[in-house]
Amino acid sequence: MTTDDWGHLLAAANSGDGQAYAHFLRTVAPVLRGVVRTKGAGLGEASCEDVLQEVLLAVHLKRHTWQVGAPVRPWLYAIARYKVVDAFRVRGRALSLPIEDFADDLAADTGPDPTEAADMAKMIGMLDGRSAKIVQMIGMEGASALETGQALQMTEGAVRVALHRAFKTLAVLRERHVR
Amino acid sequence: MKTDAWIRALAADTHIDRRVGDLLPVRLAAAIAIGVVALGLIHGYRDDLLLSLGRPLSVMRFALTAALGLIGVRLVLLLARPEGRGLARLGPLAAVPTVALGLVIWAYLETPEEGRQMALVGKTMVNCLVTIPLLSILPVLAVLLTLRGGATTNPALAGFVSGAVGGGFGAMVYALHCTEDSPLFYVTWYGLAILGVAMVSTLVGARLLRW
Repeated sequence: MTTDDWGHLLAAANSGDGQAYAHFLRTVAPVLRGVVRTKGAGLGEASCEDVLQEVLLAVHLKRHTWQVGAPVRPWLYAIARYKVVDAFRVRGRALSLPIEDFADDLAADTGPDPTEAADMAKMIGMLDGRSAKIVQMIGMEGASALETGQALQMTEGAVRVALHRAFKTLAVLRERHVR
Repeated sequence: MKTDAWIRALAADTHIDRRVGDLLPVRLAAAIAIGVVALGLIHGYRDDLLLSLGRPLSVMRFALTAALGLIGVRLVLLLARPEGRGLARLGPLAAVPTVALGLVIWAYLETPEEGRQMALVGKTMVNCLVTIPLLSILPVLAVLLTLRGGATTNPALAGFVSGAVGGGFGAMVYALHCTEDSPLFYVTWYGLAILGVAMVSTLVGARLLRW
């Protein structure tokens, strides 16, 4: 797929085409994974996946800053670079803490699925119960906004609003969590 | 959570924020308008305002400050984009102080030696150094808060340019009141006030514009 196609996908996504948007994210995710792994050699696959999910969240919340017609790659890489530097700075600091505090966690680590990441799930757990449920139902169970609404006795519109707020909150939580 | 699931959740969120470029002009214009009204109510405009618009040296105060503000806005809109840091050129912004400096040199040579000191210090220096920063608060906040909705990858630089924009427009509004028409005065003290605003805005931006 060429960069031009990325531009078409993102333009369609930004004018409300959800399918084009999902396609766009799935297309750029492996490329971004490569960027993260190259920059974060030594972090381990699971940590890299954490960082990738943070980058994807940033791309999501900042997708309106892409200008229709502008090349997608420089825009995307600028976001990735910014978030990756930030994420590694933060993890570098976390790693300087005494190792004993993490000894239990390290022992319990049984080698996760390479695309499985723990940080975002932890932060979703810090959301209010209903928001967490919405993110989980739509993400993990593949429910639609309508189905999620029916299960939680909310309108589809209310589910979408809550979902958007949840992502904004997750971005803020991550900032606090890491500082 | 698997990345596939994460993407599925992200893609279900169809809400998209409004662009900085759509929001900034309206908010900035409102901030400047409030400053114009407040200045009129508190200090009043200079009595010979209309007359002064016929004098090039007096008009230069508006021209230079407005140019700083407008060039700054263009730069801010670029810096609001993640990749904008590489596209932004500071040259046009630097052109304003360069022209102002040329104006000072010219005025220095034109002003008789015994009058230079008086032209430089003027009568309203303190008022100028206090009122311009006050008038800059709202415009600077308008730019910084709008930029939070962008994605700058250079928060300190974006903060600095936001300060130049707000300070420039703040000084432009102040010029409606100020009667000091010598470039020796206004380039020096307006310039100092704007620089102070830009410094503070750099520090604020470096924190506020991270994401």
